[in-house]
Amino acid sequence: MSSRKQPKGKIRPPKKPNSADAQFNDNWDRLAQAIREIHKKNASILSFEELYRNAYNMVLHKNGDKLYNGVREVITQHLEEVAVSQVVPAFPLSGASSSQTNPNGAGGANFLKVLKTVWEDHTTCMLMIRDILMYMDRVYAKTANVPLVYDLGLDLFRDTIVRSQNYPIQNHLLEVLLQQIKLERENEIIDRTNVKASIDMLLELTDASTKDTVYATDFENKFLETSSEYYRVEGQMLVGEYDAPEYMKKVDKRLNEEEQRVRHYLSQTTEPKIRNIVEEELISKHLKTVIEMENSGLIPMLRNEKMDDLGRMYKLFGRVVKGHDEMKSAISDYIRELGKAINETVTSNTTAEGGNAASGDKQTGATVAVRWVQEVLDLKDKFDKVQNLALSNDKAFQTSFNEAFEYFINKNSKSPEFISLFIDDNLKKGLKGKTEEEVDSVLDKTITLFRFIGEKDVFERYYKQHLAKRLLLGRSVSDDAERGMIGKLKVECGYQFTTKLEGMFNDMRISSDTMTDFKEYLDKSVLEKPKLDLSVTVLTSTFWPMNLSASPRCNLPPELTKACGTFQNFYLGRHSGRRLTWQSNMGTADIRGSFKARKHELNVSTYQMVILLMFNDKQDGESLSYEQIKGESDIPEADLKRNLQSLACAKYKILVKEPKGKEINPGDQFNFNNDFTAPLQRIKIQTVASKVESEGERKETREKVEEARKHQTEAAIVRIMKDRKTMEHNLLIAEVVKQLQSRFMPNPALIKKRIEALIEREYLERATGDRRVYNYLA
Amino acid sequence: KFHSELSQDISLLLNDTDDYNVIIQTGEGKNSREFRAHSIILKIRSPYFKNLSTKWVVQKNNMIEIKKPNIRPTVFEIILKYIYTGEVNLTKRPGADILGLLIATDELLLEKLFRHVLNH
Repeated sequence: MSSRKQPKGKIRPPKKPNSADAQFNDNWDRLAQAIREIHKKNASILSFEELYRNAYNMVLHKNGDKLYNGVREVITQHLEEVAVSQVVPAFPLSGASSSQTNPNGAGGANFLKVLKTVWEDHTTCMLMIRDILMYMDRVYAKTANVPLVYDLGLDLFRDTIVRSQNYPIQNHLLEVLLQQIKLERENEIIDRTNVKASIDMLLELTDASTKDTVYATDFENKFLETSSEYYRVEGQMLVGEYDAPEYMKKVDKRLNEEEQRVRHYLSQTTEPKIRNIVEEELISKHLKTVIEMENSGLIPMLRNEKMDDLGRMYKLFGRVVKGHDEMKSAISDYIRELGKAINETVTSNTTAEGGNAASGDKQTGATVAVRWVQEVLDLKDKFDKVQNLALSNDKAFQTSFNEAFEYFINKNSKSPEFISLFIDDNLKKGLKGKTEEEVDSVLDKTITLFRFIGEKDVFERYYKQHLAKRLLLGRSVSDDAERGMIGKLKVECGYQFTTKLEGMFNDMRISSDTMTDFKEYLDKSVLEKPKLDLSVTVLTSTFWPMNLSASPRCNLPPELTKACGTFQNFYLGRHSGRRLTWQSNMGTADIRGSFKARKHELNVSTYQMVILLMFNDKQDGESLSYEQIKGESDIPEADLKRNLQSLACAKYKILVKEPKGKEINPGDQFNFNNDFTAPLQRIKIQTVASKVESEGERKETREKVEEARKHQTEAAIVRIMKDRKTMEHNLLIAEVVKQLQSRFMPNPALIKKRIEALIEREYLERATGDRRVYNYLA
Repeated sequence: KFHSELSQDISLLLNDTDDYNVIIQTGEGKNSREFRAHSIILKIRSPYFKNLSTKWVVQKNNMIEIKKPNIRPTVFEIILKYIYTGEVNLTKRPGADILGLLIATDELLLEKLFRHVLNH
């Protein structure tokens, strides 16, 4: 403040004169003293302008290096004193040698508090020192390539305090920090501000060799190591003591805590590392154990539909690499297991009932099918719900669930038939009083099962059979519902799959028109009118499931034959070149029967009508033998037996059989039951028919399917070869599989056989050079 | 752009010292003189004055007092004008002032002005 020997007139920078050393010493003494005063928090007695000018003059007079080193020395000295007088006395009692720490960590907390003060004092002083040495920083430090004075202060603090060579400050610091964190993990309340201050300090200090923070070089690894160990032990303990949901809640809590910890007082760079450790120790290492926990693991959660727990597991396990894979495979296995159980109840049911299938309990077969589908649908519903509520509709899970369903559904070789029967059950009239919407939604779900069927062609065959029965027996609930279902199938499989089904509908519509025309024709014609109302449905043979080659024989009664003739003339007159074959096995008839008590109207099959009409010529009590009926009617044996059974052994006994019994055997005698009574006037005689196919029928269906597949395979081969002209064997097989797999999975051996057959029939030839290549022969 | 207008208006602050909060004493003895200034302006213009907000500031009656006896008033006037307006006029200045200005701008870390004077 007061003026000393001012340079005034003799200022001549940068040249400097004689008494330089003396002036330097004088200037330096003042500065050194000032820095000590700053350290003593006595700065208020100092003049900034003056000190600044002192330093300025020293640098100006080329004494920057002396100044710089002097400052370093003063600061180091001060920090040494601080270490001895403040830091060392604050060491926690337990000492670095013992891992036994005082229970509440008070000593440690106090130590951190002291360090915090020391650090704050240091940085405050350094800011002031930096101010007065601003000129040194600007002019000297830059050219001499040394750290700015503030950074010098940090380095000195690092080496003198934090990594002191003389006192185990570093050990204590790290131990206390880790101990504080451990205490907090154990639900003790710690003073986070003190911890944070130390951490921030470590973050501000830089390691000279790595250029990384001291936090990263000294603290972080130790923190991560102890955390690993901590959570390794905790993981084992938790797995032993808690059930799966509780375990996951604990893990969730831990993850959350560590995230909070990082946010509150650690470096953000530590976040992914500590997260990884918790995930590794608490999730990855115990994945299987938690999934397989008895009574509380993944399967029990699924069984009891614990959506929250499942959702938690999904989220938690998704954090680690194998997590979702393990879940997926466990759930898939579970689905397969449940599916297997469903399949087994069905097979055990059908085999149990196989013995008395012919006994007339026609419902059971269909019931089994419907129940199977319903159970599969329920299972599907269940896992859709899981998928939706707990698994965030994860596509990967969906795929693996689908595979599991596909697997067990195709394990049941009857699934195509069952699914068709289930649809049949829902499209049939007068059932269960479901609304149209309900039926529609059930059918939508059924379509998802249909998707899983590998042998779609087998399904198509059954569907045609069942649809044919619904249409011909007028049992469809509505055309709209039927068309809706066909629409759904079309969406799934394309129009080729459904053209025949639509053809069946068209036949029904056209036939109804034809019948109107036929009536008009009869009214106008001079011909004698038939003595009965004839209703004919003309079916295009390729659309309908019929066996043309073995057109069923049957001797119809003369009136009927005559009526048929009339229709045939009418029809062929309109459509020349067509051939009509009478499918007497598919028709029905209304006839009137006079019994002792009263008259009844009987609705019977065409075959039953033929049988009953034979008794018209017989006296009361006169019987017909099985052989007689067979000979006279010429009805195929299996059909005959079934129809006789319906008439003599079922609910309404229009005929009486000798000897009594449920089965029809050669040599049986049949009588018209004159004493028949029934409360209703109109009676429908159901034809005994197992709805699920018998083994024989199944074999037959199978053969038909195989035959159809041969044709389809050949057609596909020819189609492809016609297009490509020449093709290598494997490529051709692959292409054929690709074209056919929407209907069924052709095996390569089958395709190979078909190729050979086509070569034999000279559609294809082997290329002369390469036997593995085929040429198309136009 | 209205830069010239801006510096003109700010230069008014230099003469109209209503809201001043800094007193700078320059020179010695008879040759001393007090300047009035605004700490915010000084702070944003010079790293040296930046420290006015730290613990170094000496306040008397709510005034910040700065003593620069080594800088002559005539030199400091040029500096203050430069700080407030960004304008310097060195013509007709005696050589002693120019030299004093060179030293003062170096000390006060007014690098741009220092270089300008050096080139003069």
